[in-house]
Amino acid sequence: MAEFNPTILAFCCNWCSYAGADLAGVGRLQMPPNIHVIRVMCSASVKPEYVLKAISGGVDGVLVLGCHIGDCHYMTGNHRTAKRMPLVQKVLKEVGIDERRLRLDWVSASEGEKFQKVVTEFVGEIKNLGPNPMRGVKW
Amino acid sequence: MVNDLGKKLARLAFEERGADFLLVMREEHGNVAPAMVSKGEDVGVVRLEVPYQLVTILENIYPWISKGKIAVITRRCDEKALAELAKRKYVDDKRIIKIGLACTEEQIERCRCEDPVPSHVDVGEPHAGVKGDELSARLAKMSQKDRLAFWVDQYKKCNKCFGCTLTCPVCFCDDDCVLEERTFVAEPSIPPGLSFHMVRSYHMIDKCIECGECERACPAEIPLLTMRKLLAKDMKEVFKFAPGDEKTVSPLNTTLEGELMEDECNER
Amino acid sequence: MSVEHVLTTCPYCGTGCNFFLQVVDGRLTSVVPCKTDEISLGRLCIKGYNAHVFVQHADRLKYPMIREGEQLKKASWDQALDKIVGELEAIKEKHGPDSIAILASAKCTNEENYLFQKLARAVIGTNNVDHCARLCHASTVTGLLHSFGSGAMTNTIPEFDNADCILVTGSNTLEAHPIIGSRMLRAKEKGAKIIVVDPRDTPLSRISYLFLSQRPGTDIAWINGMLKVIIDEGLVNEEFVKTRTAAFEELKEAVRGYAPEKVEQTTGIPKEKLIEAARVYAKADKAMLAYAMGITQHSNGTDIVKGLANLAMVTGHIGKESTGVNPLRGQCNVQGACDSGGLPNLFPGYQRVDDEAVRTKFEKAWGVNLPAKPGLTLTRAMNEAATGKLKAMVIFGENVMISDPDLNHVEEAVKKLEFLAVSDIFLTETAQLADVVLPAACYAEKDGTFTNTDRALRMVRKAVDAPGEARADWVIACDLGKKFGSSGFGFSSPAEIMAEMATVTPIFGGMSYEKIDSKVVRWPCPAKDHPGTRVLHTKKFTRGLGLFAPVQHAPPAEVVSEEYPFILTTGRNLFQYHTGTMTRRSPKLEREAPEPYVEINKGDAKRLGIGDGERVMVSSRRGAITLKARVTERIVQGTVFIPFHYAEAAANKLTNAALDPISNIPEFKVCAAKVAKA
Repeated sequence: MAEFNPTILAFCCNWCSYAGADLAGVGRLQMPPNIHVIRVMCSASVKPEYVLKAISGGVDGVLVLGCHIGDCHYMTGNHRTAKRMPLVQKVLKEVGIDERRLRLDWVSASEGEKFQKVVTEFVGEIKNLGPNPMRGVKW
Repeated sequence: MVNDLGKKLARLAFEERGADFLLVMREEHGNVAPAMVSKGEDVGVVRLEVPYQLVTILENIYPWISKGKIAVITRRCDEKALAELAKRKYVDDKRIIKIGLACTEEQIERCRCEDPVPSHVDVGEPHAGVKGDELSARLAKMSQKDRLAFWVDQYKKCNKCFGCTLTCPVCFCDDDCVLEERTFVAEPSIPPGLSFHMVRSYHMIDKCIECGECERACPAEIPLLTMRKLLAKDMKEVFKFAPGDEKTVSPLNTTLEGELMEDECNER
Repeated sequence: MSVEHVLTTCPYCGTGCNFFLQVVDGRLTSVVPCKTDEISLGRLCIKGYNAHVFVQHADRLKYPMIREGEQLKKASWDQALDKIVGELEAIKEKHGPDSIAILASAKCTNEENYLFQKLARAVIGTNNVDHCARLCHASTVTGLLHSFGSGAMTNTIPEFDNADCILVTGSNTLEAHPIIGSRMLRAKEKGAKIIVVDPRDTPLSRISYLFLSQRPGTDIAWINGMLKVIIDEGLVNEEFVKTRTAAFEELKEAVRGYAPEKVEQTTGIPKEKLIEAARVYAKADKAMLAYAMGITQHSNGTDIVKGLANLAMVTGHIGKESTGVNPLRGQCNVQGACDSGGLPNLFPGYQRVDDEAVRTKFEKAWGVNLPAKPGLTLTRAMNEAATGKLKAMVIFGENVMISDPDLNHVEEAVKKLEFLAVSDIFLTETAQLADVVLPAACYAEKDGTFTNTDRALRMVRKAVDAPGEARADWVIACDLGKKFGSSGFGFSSPAEIMAEMATVTPIFGGMSYEKIDSKVVRWPCPAKDHPGTRVLHTKKFTRGLGLFAPVQHAPPAEVVSEEYPFILTTGRNLFQYHTGTMTRRSPKLEREAPEPYVEINKGDAKRLGIGDGERVMVSSRRGAITLKARVTERIVQGTVFIPFHYAEAAANKLTNAALDPISNIPEFKVCAAKVAKA
């Protein structure tokens, strides 16, 4: 039985979490390879539509990483994200997709280790959840 | 020809409340039609049991009516829809006169409505709401896998008529609806994938006032109203918010401290 | 400030949904579904919701034009009409009335089509009148006329809800007739079994109970195969066959050679599936057959339709509620254009032109002698134009330059005509070649009636004024009639035209605007107090006994070869409509399906090294087009599909004008093609 290798998107904001991801890389911190990092200027530019499209298309997990509350380069961007993502999770839940496939977290530019921790935890969680059930669905 | 109901509404709207126009439903050519009656015009044989979404119709014609007061037959859900529109400045609620219509028991059951009595009842007998939606209860007992199978089965019937968005009173992005963009709904044919329905669900989560028009307009008879109700419950749990009150702001438009931000719907 | 909601009928497909056109101060702002409409139940498809958009488009023709050399120059109505009359009279004088053909329009109202055929017959003196039904359901008219005596849908759209089995073949119902498709979905929710027989994987087949995928051009094989199973397994409705039909023994004999194994070889349908389909259909309590172009557009289309009639009769699934043989007609008024006599061999009401008693009746009614010889069908007329025998055409609302088969041949034919006049709402590819172009009013700008596929006469009501100097086609027809000197065109309203139609057309005998203004009335409606007819053939068939037709499988006119290894089949998609004149000018529709494409099977694409979205050239013996490839699992290997809506990659450049000998319908559904990277 082949081991499940999840496909995971990680939206990382330019000012904080992407820098944190970079730091983790530079520091050669061990991380599972399943993450595809997508750099965005602010976590608020991650429109819920992208997340929903990704999951509908079969992506196994989506990570949205922004700056800590109070540190957003654009002041209130991460407030938007903080409001949106829980609702996106509910949309997933009601339709029958595990809401844990979407995770929101805050990682600062200096938190290379936190990045590693979040990513490793998330990949593990998705591996437990199994492949996205939308993968097999023929429209 | 005018019926008693028509006479009553005409008097109420034009004489008592100073409206210049009355948006109502009446018999025409053996059918029931929406109608915008001007003061002085024959109101016709008014029929209120056919549930046209008059607020949607109002929203369509409002930009062309530069002056005058418009009386609208409003059920409780219509009042809430107007509140959502007024909040976002799509209508000036000083120009709208609401004529409260209480829904019949049959209508309340059909909509599984918990809040059917308008703030002021001008027509109809008020009845109590019903608790709970049979399908929601069934879904709550299902496993996650079965729930997904259920919704995929339903959404597979979708024919992209856009009836749900076109008839919805709080769907106002007429010319730049995100559901039309390939960026978000990839499939170039029908049925549109799950993202179409999930994106719509997300957009409606802070606006839907559960009028049920989407479900009635769906040729595939997908239980859209049930999905709306499920998410309305979630919205209440997560943010203690329910749409339909002109005084409250959507949590999607406020910071974590409750300060006002730019309306996210204005983001293009 | 005025706001009106005008109840009218959709100008797109033959379902005939009613909706309200919302008009604010003469501007069309929206479409509002009609919740009390028995056909649409307050729902619409995406085209219906956008049916107002093209109406007030800037491209609308606003004034008549007359050709001067390479250009079309603006002219007055009198100049344009005089030119048409002058040219036609000269040609008639020199070459006889049969050198002229009139194309009636499935987009025009019943009243207008009645006048077009009256113009042809009573004024010009020819039976050369036809319209695009020739390209779509001509096989239905001839096939069912033979089997039942009446060529129309035998039951009604609302009845689909209550069927417990619906066999759908050659119809991509959810895309071509969405609201009828939604009825099938309702039936399914109630437990109905939907059987789909189609070479393509369609939205309906994906939710069907049984999906049989056959090679294009093998329909009689599977139909006869099902008949044999029904006979062999004792599922024949003996009572019905004995009392209501004739020629059963011939049928039994004809299907003897169609054992399921043999059918599998010919069609590709696994024999277990064929047997099950036959059993489910035969054993159902109320089974309906629904079909469209996949059945009719073949060089043996008439025979295939007769095959379906055989199926319904052998099982007794006809003449009762929620049963029958149900052709889904394409255009908003193609049924009506046929009913109103826009056919070369039939007067209004399907009365034959070569029947002396009938002709005498019309001669009395119209006060002129009438030609006895049946005229040219549209497809034959094109051939005659190409050889120079046909000299002139007047085309009302049809874009032959995109909708007819073998477009290169059509272009030759049209360009060879000595005179061509076109009346349309936009400057179509056909109008661009005309000598005189007349600007016509569309459905939203005139009163009249459309007959939908289930024989209901639906009112079309004027909501806005026509742009510029555009006139309703009934006005144009009357103007022409008068200019020709005829006294039979003095109508001041469509209601008057309908009144005259009712006097000469028994199936419309009881129709009047007062009656249908507030009621859904289906023909036959022979008398004033008659409520109309929902289900046909309840006690006896129109011809008396239903006639079984022993038909045999025949290969398509053009089969695959080494040089042309693919079967090319053409059809529709949900968002565009026919030649695209209306839908391509509606932004929301255009946006959904903006480009031409060819659907090619994943395996085939891989073999040819073609990726999804790559440009490919598809060619046949008649022409070639370049367009994007859509690699999909939704089509069988060896077959490619191209929708015919896109002028820039017109599928009909490739199609074969091989005609069914009885109905003259072209074989749009099968021809041989090759595919290569462009």
